[in-house]
Amino acid sequence: MSAHEYVVRFSTRQRVEHFVVMSLFVILALTGFPQKFYDSSWASAVVGLFGGVPQMRWVHRVAGYCLLFATIFHFFFVLLEVVVRKARLSMVPERQDFKDAIHQLRYYLRLEDAPARFDRFDYREKFEYWGLVFGNMIMVGSGLVLLYPMVVARYLPGELIPTAKIAHSNEGLMAFLVVITWHVYNAHFAPDIFPFNKTIFTGRISKHHLQKEHPREFERLFPDEATAAAASVAPTPGTPAAEPPAPAPGT
Amino acid sequence: MSLLQHRPWLATGLLAAMFAAPSYGLPEPPKESPAEEAEGCLGCHEDPSIEVAFADGTRRTLQVDRNAFAQSVHFGKVACSECHPGFQEIPHPERRYASEDEFRAGMRQACQTCHFQDYSRYMDGVHHAVAKEGGAAPTCVDCHDAHAVTPPGKPRSRVSDTCSTCHSDVAETYANSVHGRLLAGPRPDDAPVCTDCHRSHDIQDPRSQAFLLRTPETCGGCHSDTERMKPYGLSTKVMSTYLADFHGMTASLAAPHAEGSTRVTAVCVDCHGVHDITKVDEPGSKVMKENLLKTCQQCHPDAAGDFPAAWLSHFEPSLERAPLVYLTRQFYVIFIPFVIGGLVLQILLHFWRVVVNR
Repeated sequence: MSAHEYVVRFSTRQRVEHFVVMSLFVILALTGFPQKFYDSSWASAVVGLFGGVPQMRWVHRVAGYCLLFATIFHFFFVLLEVVVRKARLSMVPERQDFKDAIHQLRYYLRLEDAPARFDRFDYREKFEYWGLVFGNMIMVGSGLVLLYPMVVARYLPGELIPTAKIAHSNEGLMAFLVVITWHVYNAHFAPDIFPFNKTIFTGRISKHHLQKEHPREFERLFPDEATAAAASVAPTPGTPAAEPPAPAPGT
Repeated sequence: MSLLQHRPWLATGLLAAMFAAPSYGLPEPPKESPAEEAEGCLGCHEDPSIEVAFADGTRRTLQVDRNAFAQSVHFGKVACSECHPGFQEIPHPERRYASEDEFRAGMRQACQTCHFQDYSRYMDGVHHAVAKEGGAAPTCVDCHDAHAVTPPGKPRSRVSDTCSTCHSDVAETYANSVHGRLLAGPRPDDAPVCTDCHRSHDIQDPRSQAFLLRTPETCGGCHSDTERMKPYGLSTKVMSTYLADFHGMTASLAAPHAEGSTRVTAVCVDCHGVHDITKVDEPGSKVMKENLLKTCQQCHPDAAGDFPAAWLSHFEPSLERAPLVYLTRQFYVIFIPFVIGGLVLQILLHFWRVVVNR
């Protein structure tokens, strides 16, 4: 197997979506955090960059609306692909993901010899995806409450407005912290990845990396090669295989 | 030595000459004491008929009230000629003024020599800005008087009285406010007078956002002071709770960039009133629950229903007050460290295992 053989992992739509969400995330954080940390000197400097609080808020709100539309767009296309092209719901968490997570933790603690064998998306990717989805819903929902407080208060208790402010402020902080720790580690600083996992930008993953990081998907896509590879590194009789070759549920 | 012992007057003279010698270039010190010089001037200037004529045909008296002048902080310390240089000579040098305003503006310079800081503050103030445009605005002597200069804030009510000379409508409103009534009551030292909020010399345009966005600091100066608020049973969290809310956060962020008079956010006075400020539970209070929606509508004309409840009335969220806000905050206090701590732990474990494998 050549190191230059690639598999298409992400479609153009998915790559564009990642780029859009990434850009909006940066803009939203830049225009949002000065409002959370209003008494710091850097907050004032950022406000100066935009020419004033109303201008900065305008950018924040427009970016927020863009994120709302990007989210709607995403689910619309996922639905379309599932219904029309009968695509697999490869992001839906399964029992296997919880097993994988436990296996992986045991592996970290040296209770397992080999890491969990992941399918198309591993439990970490699914966690981050659904974290983004639910975080997005909280951010967009609370953001709209803060943008239209008078409409909200006409039908619902006014206390929802300061509640939305607390939720928006904290959820935004948490999203930022998750991205700069978890996402940046997994996409940049993890030793096997460093300095940069380009797959989400190029759409391509080398077969070598696919086999290493998503062995079950690899087995499904290249059953012959997978069997050949397994045979070449067949465990010596008596030692158990790192993972029983049972098919993952849902595949 | 013996020369000086036998002629003590010579010693005194030499000593005087030694002290006088370094004063080259400075104006000659007045030969008479300030009080003596004043006596000489009052010889003529006690006469009410003594007047100056201006080019525009108006005249004004140059009479100085001896008793008022004797009460002045300057009396006996500052000589007449220090504020009126060149007028020791009799007959006085001839000066021409177009009008009384010009005459008064010229006199302002006299204060600058000793009171330079207040003078330059005044130059930054709104009164000077108006005067510069030719408008009617006070200079030093209008508030402090020319000759009867006495401490301006003794008693404190004197400040309000001074300002009310021109701002009588505001003064009347203020007198009926909770602060004005406090000033007239038994604890006048606790009451803010005009200059406490507006400052005295560098008075800013109160309509400017630069001034308005500083209101939380202005009011907070007293209202965050536990000792000062204790006798009145008022909460000192009013400023911190305001700043934590949307309006306060906006005011903090916008204050360094404030320009012009376009409203950016609501500050203390927008809800509580300015000169007409009342106790919160007084009839007619703008911040009373029954009146709050109307107060919100000043800026949010579409406000309706439960909108005023969006503001927690300076209370910190708790289980009793705003439980939903409180619980949401508590949730994140636990949830954020839990999530981030868990993820960082996994990162560290992952990194450690990969390194061990190599």
